[in-house]
Amino acid sequence: MLKMHHLSKVYRTHLIETHALRDFSIHVKNGEFVAVTGPSGSGKTTFLNIAGLLEEFSGGEYFLDGVDVRGMNDAARSRLRNEKIGFIFQGFNLIPDLNLFDNVDVPLRYRGFNAAERRRRIEQALSRVGLSARMKHYPSELSGGQQQRVAIARALAGSPKILLADEPTGNLDTQMARGVMQLLEELHAEGATIIMVTHDPELAARAQRNVHVIDGQVVDIQAEPRLRSVGAPPLQSAQA
Amino acid sequence: MELRPILSALMRSRVALVLLGLQIALTLAIVCNSLFIISERAALMERPSGMNEADTFILASIGFGADFNLKNAIADDLAMLRALPGVVAAAPINSLPMTNGGWSSGLSLTREQKTSSAYSAMYFSDDQALAAMGAQLIAGRLYRPEELGERTRKTAGWPPVIIITRALGHKLWPGQDPVGKTVWLDTEAEASTVIGVIDRLQAPWVHNEEVVEFATVLPEVINEGAFTRYIIRAAPGQRDAVMKAAEAKLAEINPSRIVREGKTLEKVRAEAYAGDRAMMIILGVVIASLLVITALGIVGMASFWVTLRTKQIGTRRALGATRGAILRYFLAENFVITSIGLLLGTALAYGFNVWLIRHYQTQAMPWYYVPVGCLSLWLLGQLAVLGPARRASRVPPAMATRSV
Repeated sequence: MLKMHHLSKVYRTHLIETHALRDFSIHVKNGEFVAVTGPSGSGKTTFLNIAGLLEEFSGGEYFLDGVDVRGMNDAARSRLRNEKIGFIFQGFNLIPDLNLFDNVDVPLRYRGFNAAERRRRIEQALSRVGLSARMKHYPSELSGGQQQRVAIARALAGSPKILLADEPTGNLDTQMARGVMQLLEELHAEGATIIMVTHDPELAARAQRNVHVIDGQVVDIQAEPRLRSVGAPPLQSAQA
Repeated sequence: MELRPILSALMRSRVALVLLGLQIALTLAIVCNSLFIISERAALMERPSGMNEADTFILASIGFGADFNLKNAIADDLAMLRALPGVVAAAPINSLPMTNGGWSSGLSLTREQKTSSAYSAMYFSDDQALAAMGAQLIAGRLYRPEELGERTRKTAGWPPVIIITRALGHKLWPGQDPVGKTVWLDTEAEASTVIGVIDRLQAPWVHNEEVVEFATVLPEVINEGAFTRYIIRAAPGQRDAVMKAAEAKLAEINPSRIVREGKTLEKVRAEAYAGDRAMMIILGVVIASLLVITALGIVGMASFWVTLRTKQIGTRRALGATRGAILRYFLAENFVITSIGLLLGTALAYGFNVWLIRHYQTQAMPWYYVPVGCLSLWLLGQLAVLGPARRASRVPPAMATRSV
């Protein structure tokens, strides 16, 4: 599903060069739930940005669902991101001026689905996270946990190949965090491929596999095949 | 286009929407009406006076001293002027089109009438008047020397023959040939017979729409007081030289008077419409200022929103929006705001026009002013928002994961 070989990312200013990732290799298989951990500044977010096609990399190879993303132009990267990746952000990143329906609709409009298809997917996704009754509500009317559920619904609605979660419980209290984590585990159990960046060892322990990053390099890969086997069907089929 | 979510989001920012919408609405209303007023004034200024303005000028003579004889002075002056090289024709005249001062009189079709059938400017001159003005006789004949007379304070009645403009003839006898018809300038005096019709000769009062095309040329020279005005037409291209020579000669042949008011008809026209020109300039400045302020308002608001929504734009990019999609989003948002403003502005523009018609007797604005204004403001809005929209489209998708 996701393969990075000897990937590097260098940030350059006129004064210094910073190697955010160096010789970074990882292979995430279809249906895996991988936690990427590491201290602040280790390169976790850079990895997530590159994996999510939010940033370009300086060297190495990256294949997303078999597609070599090197040299892709911005429009092609945007399309690939929209089709293959579902994002779950630490701060939820919901659009405050749009209600839940329209928030979930955002990536679907960029995909070019017709109105009926979008409505079907929005209702299905919000129903999956238990918020179908609040479609006309605005994010400010929801709790943090509910907002993150909306963000997960938005990520799921486009039937992505992979979910990228950036500290998904970082802005939540313990109880809400537990609920969100449980939802991610359910999604994984239904076949979703998930990569979760976190600095919380307790959350990381609940993933299928842990990848520890220090100074931009993978230093330890701990396999814990305790949830389900790889090769599960894609999310849309799992939800149907 | 994401119109529904854009509208939905804008409804949550009502203050900004209302302020910008009102600004656009006021701009449309004021710009459309101002442009209409400008076009009206321009049309007013472009109306022909009926005279040959390029080659003609006026001079005034004011005699002084006990021995100054106006009648003799006029005769000497005309003899000199008509003999001056480069002069095509010269005539004494009491007033002229576009001078905003002169005589007028009511004209009645019957002696019994209590109210006049029309009002007309009265130009007192001689048989050279039309030639000096360059006015075109289209029917009848010119005055004969034996028909010429003079008018003083004591003159009773009116001349038996007159020449009128076509517009006045049409007003008095619609669809008929005015030549040979009689009309009373004073119902207690004898009637005058129309012997000639001029294609066009404006009254002095250019802002009086009711009478501006109604003029009568009378075969009488004013012989009262010490003031006389001459109208002199020069051969093409010789006007300025002839004017200079005529002024010098007039002063030379009779030192008992002052020669002044040497003025081309082009200058007379410029002075007559100076107020209109000033209004056009002021309205032009108002229009330009409003358009600039509106454009700056759009730029400012769009820039503010781009800054405010940087994270949101990054999120949209992360969710799959291309740069083009972000650019289109901001253009569409501006289109929606502008459209709302223009909807209100359309009502305001027509309402303002009705108010102007009621209070200032202007004409009804042609229907196409508002649609053209709307199209222009849509275009202005799109151009104004283009800069901030391009800036928004350059927000990187990685902004979604940054803490800002």
